[in-house]
Amino acid sequence: MLTDRQWFLCATLLYGLGMMYSVFLWRKGFRKDDRIHYFLLLAGFALNTTAMFMRGFSFNRCPVNNLFEATMFVDWSAVGVYLILGLWQKFRFVGAFASPIFLFLGIFALMPGLDHQDPEGQITKNWAVSLHAVLILFSYGAFGLCAVASGMYLIQERHLKTHNILAILSKLPSIERLESIASRLVLAGVILLSVGLSFAPFLGQPDRPLAWYQDAKVIWSIVIWATYVGVVSSRYLWRFGGRPMAWALIACFVFLILTFSGTNLMSEMHQ
Amino acid sequence: MSLIVVGLSHHTCPVSVREKFAFGQEEIAPSLAKMQQSGLADECVLLSTCNRVEVYVASPFSGSEAFERIHHFLQKDRGCEEEELLPSLYSHVDSDCIEHLFKVASGLDSLVLGETEILGQLKDAYQCAVGAKSTGKALNKLFQKAFHVAKHIRSNTGIQRGSTSVGSVAVELAERIFDGLEGKRVMVIGAGDTSEKTARSLLSRGASELLVTNRSIERARALADELDGRAVAFEDWQEEFHHLDIVISSTSAPTYVLNRLKVQQLIQHRPATPLLLIDIAVPRDIDPEINELENVYVYNIDHLQSIAQDYLEQRQSELTKCETYIRSKAQEWLEAWKTPPKRGGGTDSYFQAGPSGAS
Repeated sequence: MLTDRQWFLCATLLYGLGMMYSVFLWRKGFRKDDRIHYFLLLAGFALNTTAMFMRGFSFNRCPVNNLFEATMFVDWSAVGVYLILGLWQKFRFVGAFASPIFLFLGIFALMPGLDHQDPEGQITKNWAVSLHAVLILFSYGAFGLCAVASGMYLIQERHLKTHNILAILSKLPSIERLESIASRLVLAGVILLSVGLSFAPFLGQPDRPLAWYQDAKVIWSIVIWATYVGVVSSRYLWRFGGRPMAWALIACFVFLILTFSGTNLMSEMHQ
Repeated sequence: MSLIVVGLSHHTCPVSVREKFAFGQEEIAPSLAKMQQSGLADECVLLSTCNRVEVYVASPFSGSEAFERIHHFLQKDRGCEEEELLPSLYSHVDSDCIEHLFKVASGLDSLVLGETEILGQLKDAYQCAVGAKSTGKALNKLFQKAFHVAKHIRSNTGIQRGSTSVGSVAVELAERIFDGLEGKRVMVIGAGDTSEKTARSLLSRGASELLVTNRSIERARALADELDGRAVAFEDWQEEFHHLDIVISSTSAPTYVLNRLKVQQLIQHRPATPLLLIDIAVPRDIDPEINELENVYVYNIDHLQSIAQDYLEQRQSELTKCETYIRSKAQEWLEAWKTPPKRGGGTDSYFQAGPSGAS
């Protein structure tokens, strides 16, 4: 019988296959039907779910207790949101752009040293802690897909601006639709992140020596939240949109993903 | 019995010749009856479109003799001189005739490669012949096969992919920019023929409101009435700009009607949604620099024609695949047709069935 990590390894391999297939789709100018790609990611998602269930049942808690589990959870939520979007044929190419991120998250999660077990096994048995972590990780998944939709927007916008026939030949959604998807995903992400963070003051960790404002992860989370709130607000207040908005959403997510593990490791509260 | 097609098309003669030999809808059935009564054809179908007039015949005569008789029939029926008709006529016999029919049905012989209108016209011609009782076992099966081959080619090759007219390319572009054309507002500046066609294409795909402006308000009103739109005085069109999603410009103005500075000012008053500017005019009406503005997309006539040309080239690249398929299916059909009766003088079972509907 495979362990939860091995199940997740299999899921990551399928995400990798998905990424290889997306190169093929890209070379074809995104004109070929992409159901194969969708089913590869669906199979990966099934294995990812199995891994999470095994981990959750074996420890009798929500599997968001360390960096391995958290990253696996972000990967799972992003693939899940994509699979729902991909039910509509015109959104299915989102997966071709997203699969490198799914693969990257999978490889990162499987790196040695990240699957550190809580010796007491009690931290996430508290439902508020679980909800706090799950909502925040869901929001990261939404931000990831939002960055993917923004990338697709930039590609399609570039084709249209340069009068490239691929703007018509490719099966990418219209730029108006892509902008709308990105806007909704970032809004959903901000709401999830806000609700997730709002649980933080009630989690109570009296034995911790540092105040919340001295914790790197807390500061980082506030910066991330404020940045995304700024992007969303400027869209509605100052008509911030189009290409600058797409670049901003990609930059925010790149910053998030590159600093996520570092701040976790630096954080006393989140160890 | 031989299968033969005799006809003329855009490949062999100009429209001035084709129009003399075109058959009106009401003339087709009597002509088919005459052909059968004259004994030159056991079965016949007459196809008459703006690009071709063709007679498909199952004849008791050999190919060359049948051609002579059909040629004389057409000459007499259309009341023209021999030297007028003969240089434009072509004929194909048996396997070539079958291949030709399959190509015509699939749009491979059309003026615009891969166009689909011809299939409908061929079905109409066949139904007309069935109605006139001028078809039999051979042509019924042959035409059914032609429709089947055309359907296969349409579904399994890229011969009909993409748009080849300026209007339909504009619609495709708009659909890549906007999330559907429902509710989109279109303005036509200058009431030209191409802009009218483009506007019609956009309206047919759901654009909700059409505004027409022209230096002559009468022409603007005429076009607006025709397309169920609203005419706007040329002096006032900029006031409508903040509502617009698509602008089609085709004036004969010697300088730009829309320059970068003007558009920069105008878009301040509109929501942050994309704006598609289609410039069909020569000389151009829209400053190409406007394309550099955020959320504004400018396409001129060269861009649209280049996309249409790319599509045509892609269709050309599919031609060999289609021709190979057609050749194999024509051979297959001919072999089945030529197969001797299995027993007691009857024909092969493939040709036992009577006429069937064009589907």
